[in-house]
Amino acid sequence: MSRREVAQRHGEVAPGPDEPVPSPGAVEQTTVTSTPASTPALPPKPSRVTATLAAVATGAVVLAATAGLNISWTELGDVPGRVVEYLLLMFADPNWEKLPRALFETWRSISMAWLGAIGCVVVSIPLGMLAASGMGPAWLRVGLRAIFAVIRAVPEVIIALVLLTVTGLTPFTGALALGIAGIGTQSKWVYEAVESAPTGATEAVRAAGGSTAEIARWAIWPAVAPVLMSFALYRCEINIRTSAVLGLVGAGGIGSMLSNYTNYREWDTVGMLLIVVVVITMVFDLISGSIRRRIMEGARVRDVDRTR
Amino acid sequence: MVVALCAFTALTCWPAIGGVEIDLAGLVRNWSNGADKIAQLLRPDLTFLPRTVAPMLETLAMAVAGAAFAAIISIPLTLAAARPSNPNPLTRQLVRFCINVNRAVPDLVFATVLVAMVGVGTLPGFLTLFLFDLGVVVKLVSEAVDSADHPYLEAGTAAGGTQAQINRATVLPQSWPLFANQWLYSLELNVRISAILGIVGAGGIGRLLDERRGFFAYDDVSVIILEILVVVVVIEVISNALRRRLR
Repeated sequence: MSRREVAQRHGEVAPGPDEPVPSPGAVEQTTVTSTPASTPALPPKPSRVTATLAAVATGAVVLAATAGLNISWTELGDVPGRVVEYLLLMFADPNWEKLPRALFETWRSISMAWLGAIGCVVVSIPLGMLAASGMGPAWLRVGLRAIFAVIRAVPEVIIALVLLTVTGLTPFTGALALGIAGIGTQSKWVYEAVESAPTGATEAVRAAGGSTAEIARWAIWPAVAPVLMSFALYRCEINIRTSAVLGLVGAGGIGSMLSNYTNYREWDTVGMLLIVVVVITMVFDLISGSIRRRIMEGARVRDVDRTR
Repeated sequence: MVVALCAFTALTCWPAIGGVEIDLAGLVRNWSNGADKIAQLLRPDLTFLPRTVAPMLETLAMAVAGAAFAAIISIPLTLAAARPSNPNPLTRQLVRFCINVNRAVPDLVFATVLVAMVGVGTLPGFLTLFLFDLGVVVKLVSEAVDSADHPYLEAGTAAGGTQAQINRATVLPQSWPLFANQWLYSLELNVRISAILGIVGAGGIGRLLDERRGFFAYDDVSVIILEILVVVVVIEVISNALRRRLR
């Protein structure tokens, strides 16, 4: 590997926040132009100044960030040993006695996730439709999109912390927080789906004299309903993960239990809880993923697989 | 179908088996508490701003360092997790399984456990972000590599290249845009997540947020939230601009 390629890789390995990433085509370009420049027919080598500068700047940002972390790197050698020690404490002999309680709390987390997803989807479908171009008036569209952007930027935990003062430390707070926090992203998906739907049916309904509401019902809805259902399931998957997080701030569910037993330093129970969280999340993803594929791609077609 | 969905929803609202007790009356009763909080939050005390700069930089440093280290490690792992670049089913499934387990653990749960393991500070935050990004990048890029067409790869095999040579010469060059896209995305997510990691003791602006909330200093909390908002939006805009250039 030549030195130039090394430098180039370095640049592509760590794209920082404020400089352009070298374009992917650059790799092929180097190999093409690396023949000796003696033949006059070849075009001049493209300038690599920008890419090199970007790579150097990225490296500098990463180095500065790493140096600014305040981590005592000499102690870093102990970390793997400590992690292994705790992993043994957690998983060598998980404490299965608390499993019934854990499953109860898991159901609470799933309930939070489910109700939160329903609330979120029910609110975001009409709002997202209004925010799609061609549906609502322009002022409403801009306003709604600004609101969605703000909600997207506020972490769920902070929404939960505000809601705690209204509904107390209950799972209901968790469900509400999940519902509100999801509106930002979910509505964005809705208006993007509506905008990318084929326009033929919309024009047909409009030509037949339909109002905007009738367009939404008879042209947009049939076109985007499968995508929206798939997004709704995806929201549920996300919520399952987030509900564990909300538990950490006291909204109840498996997260609260995990946080408590971590604080008690009862590692065998923590290990059991982690196993439960991982298994439930993976099973839920599996079910939801297969339903989503069924919605989006229809039943499996019996056909010869020509891809391999 | 509809009946099953309704039944499932009903079960989730049954407190006796762990369901959520929907308390709309409480919502109405205590509405003023939340309204007060929001009113307090709407009066940010901007004189607090200078004190938030150092923790915010710490948060950004965690986000960048986590994303960068995860980016480096994600390259070999992605190659090991994708079918075209790793024909050995055993190692492929093993890497995939580890990544799936990693992805199933929520970020703050990682942070909680890691804080208990390696102590309070930026180290558990950095490790959490690193593990989280690894899951996101490896999963998404290896799936994209799987579903892409690979005529070059077949040419490499036909020319008698070893798997390592093929990966180096064909799979990596055509995957750089996918990688760069996901690296930027993981950086975006990191800024969002690292802002709240401090709540469980993993350093950064979240710790300050939690501390000010503990003192009921909601005017300061609101400054911090606003700052997080601004930083998240700025990073998102930059990252979106860079990603558009990638296409």
